[in-house]
Amino acid sequence: MSTQLKYKDEESDGEISGRSAEARVITVAVAGNPNSGKSTLINAIAGTRLHVGNWAGVTVEKKEALFDFGGRKIRLVDLPGTYSLSPYSQEEIVARDYLVHERPDLIINVVDATNLERNLYLTVQIMELGIPVVMALNIYDEAQEKGYRIDGKAMEEMLGIAVVPTSATRKTGLDQLLDTALRVADAPKQRVPKKLNYGEDIEVACDYLAKSFRTSYPALTDSYPQRWLLLKLMEQDSHVMRELDLDDLDFLDQALHHLRKAHGEDIESIMADARYSLASGLTREVLHKPELRPTEITEKIDKIVLNRFLGIPIFMAAMWLLFKLTFDLSAPFGAWLGSMTDGPFKRWASALLTPLGAPDWTVSLVNDGVIAGVGSVIVFVPVIFAMMFFITFLEGSGYMARAAFVMDRTMHAIGLHGKSFIPMLLGFGCNVPGIYATRTLENPKDKVLTALLVPLMSCGARLPVYVVFVSAFFPNNSSTVIWSLYVMGILLAVLMGLIFKKTLFRGEAPMFIMELPPYRMPSLHSLCVHTWEKGKHFLYKAGTYIFAVSILVWFLLNLPWGVEHKRDSYLGQAGAVVAPVFQPMGFGTWEAASSLISGVIAKEIVVGTMGEIYAPKKEEQAEVPTLQEDLKEIGVSFGAACSKAVKTLLYLPVPEEKEKDRSALKQALLGVFTPLSSYAFMVFVLLYMPCVVAIAAMRQEFGTWKWAVVGLGYQTALAWCAALIVYQGGRVLGLGG
Amino acid sequence: MNLARLKPGQKGTITSIGSIGPLKRRLMDMGVLVGEEVKVLKVAPMGDPIEVSIKSYNLSLRKKEAEGIAVEVAG
Ligand SMILES: Nc1nc2c(ncn2[C@@H]2O[C@H](COP(=O)(O)OP(=O)(O)OP(=O)(O)O)[C@@H](O)[C@H]2O)c(=O)[nH]1
Ligand SMILES: [Mg+2]
Repeated sequence: MSTQLKYKDEESDGEISGRSAEARVITVAVAGNPNSGKSTLINAIAGTRLHVGNWAGVTVEKKEALFDFGGRKIRLVDLPGTYSLSPYSQEEIVARDYLVHERPDLIINVVDATNLERNLYLTVQIMELGIPVVMALNIYDEAQEKGYRIDGKAMEEMLGIAVVPTSATRKTGLDQLLDTALRVADAPKQRVPKKLNYGEDIEVACDYLAKSFRTSYPALTDSYPQRWLLLKLMEQDSHVMRELDLDDLDFLDQALHHLRKAHGEDIESIMADARYSLASGLTREVLHKPELRPTEITEKIDKIVLNRFLGIPIFMAAMWLLFKLTFDLSAPFGAWLGSMTDGPFKRWASALLTPLGAPDWTVSLVNDGVIAGVGSVIVFVPVIFAMMFFITFLEGSGYMARAAFVMDRTMHAIGLHGKSFIPMLLGFGCNVPGIYATRTLENPKDKVLTALLVPLMSCGARLPVYVVFVSAFFPNNSSTVIWSLYVMGILLAVLMGLIFKKTLFRGEAPMFIMELPPYRMPSLHSLCVHTWEKGKHFLYKAGTYIFAVSILVWFLLNLPWGVEHKRDSYLGQAGAVVAPVFQPMGFGTWEAASSLISGVIAKEIVVGTMGEIYAPKKEEQAEVPTLQEDLKEIGVSFGAACSKAVKTLLYLPVPEEKEKDRSALKQALLGVFTPLSSYAFMVFVLLYMPCVVAIAAMRQEFGTWKWAVVGLGYQTALAWCAALIVYQGGRVLGLGG
Repeated sequence: MNLARLKPGQKGTITSIGSIGPLKRRLMDMGVLVGEEVKVLKVAPMGDPIEVSIKSYNLSLRKKEAEGIAVEVAG
């Protein structure tokens, strides 16, 4: 990076003192405004894979990364972004509490160089804490592209803290940042940030308050950063007052009396003004913007995306396109995996097990249990990954905040605000992070209501179910049918929101204030990394509890030992008991019922169980291909899948293959469901109770079972009604039955 | 004149912030201060919220909140 901002080595002030200093772990808090690139910076430095995204409020929990640099151990603590140290929402409280109570050795203040003034407002407050600060002047690349010139040297002098320009995405300035950080951490005494002058009136009041406070509460003065505490007392910060259990301090009133009179404003405004004037003064001194400002790409895109008339249609169309791409791109690979698990894998398993003298039932357990069960889910790994890829792209591009903006009016109608839409969009990947993301909502009522609605968003785990049914019953409009299910989820969320608002959550609509970041193009590397981070969770599930449930289901299907028909097995009997409940919806079979029961663990298990139930009886193979033939076939069909995917992407015609679908599951389903009842079944799977992990997440987030139980109850009722309406309504309309 | 009544493209200078409590605090923390220049950029598809540019970044807020922010239109 060409820069006039190198941190200059000031006459080497810190010989590292002794060995003990080297062995110590240096704790560095990474703090700054939302969306300034804190998590990206830590990922670049420590090689972690923290969640990043181009909107405010991605990080909602503190996360740590431990690594070595120059022979030293450093612990970086990623904090949620915050606009000020007077927190407003839950994740901001996390950041504030950490900085105030945990006293890290050093704070790296990540500052968005393209948005200097507002970021410096927080810097000024961080400096009040009396902890050494190093500023990472991040997103420096964009600032340079805009033609900004920032005089870091002047900034260092005025603030008395080291300033290092960085670009977390291009990985520049990182070593310098760490060098500087270490140097500062080793000589903390010399590096305490300057005390900035807030203007005479404030300083006089502060001094007065300091004296009285020290005499009245000597014990308290040690447990908080001095200056910060005094300033917060003057602001009558409700958190601090509550923490200290202070209500009426008469000397506080005296200290503030003069200040109030002189300014004729409330103290909070006076303080905010004082801090902002420091920040703007500094910005004026150090930032030089070019005279002419070209129209930025963000404005051009927003003209279309946020258009008054096109905004919502574009959102819907973008979603449809997303499903189309997801589906078309991954389908060939799914089919390829399917042909592998159905054929070669089972043959290999038998070939391996039989010579070992394994009894028939073990072979069946492996083939009809594990491979059929886990296999039917694994087939959908490509779809899930494709979906996660697009969600990662949306997150990185900056569209999330726009979606919140466009949907705010609709969300307002159900007593929520646009920001609630972000957890919902995240829910399309997996409901669990969606539920945690409700933390960015300020109001506890909104949090609960949003978390109750998130599970109506169709998550990745439900895709396998749709894909199986859609490819069997709606092969020609597969993406449209799947899209309709997602849209149904959203519409029902709106409806349920309205109902909840009228019943459980009456009251004022919350306010909505949100930053709209510029669009950014995520790099392919970061797209891949974060797609993997989201998708690997599904692989893990397939390897652990889907695996376990497959084995369990196999036993339940084969017990009591030696049952003739699967219908008479334990699982069959249980299914048969529940089945009548589903009769009016067109899928009152024990097979469907028992799949739905096992799907409570995780929704993709619905497919896994069906895979086991409908596993074909011993294949009558005319001739068994050799291992070589199998391997060759796998290679060849993979090549064919790739070329098919590329062709779809380029909109080239894909030759209609006469290849009869070999999937036994699909064949079986075609025999039991009709298109209408399959749609009703998908609707039911979309809506019925959230998976156990989501329920646990709700319980953890809200600290009681209450809302998890409410969610479970209403969703199952809703699922039943909706599937019933779809099926019976469809019959009335003559769509077959 | 208040911020909610500005048309997209119009600029104004904030003369007072009517809201109180945490909302006011939040607005100030995000740079919405008396004397600051704001420009309305967009109105969302269904007429609410609006997007404004302030302190060289873009902020969206509802008309209801914007109504509490008095502005003086320049020129
Ligand atoms: N051009 C550029 N973009 C960056 C840089 N650092 C981060 N970004 C982008 O800025 C966005 C926000 O990054 P995050 O790391 O999620 O920001 P954060 O500060 O952790 O945000 P919160 O967790 O919401 O507080 C992402 O889209 C990043 O790709 C940088 O140095 N240059
Ligand atoms: Mg973050």
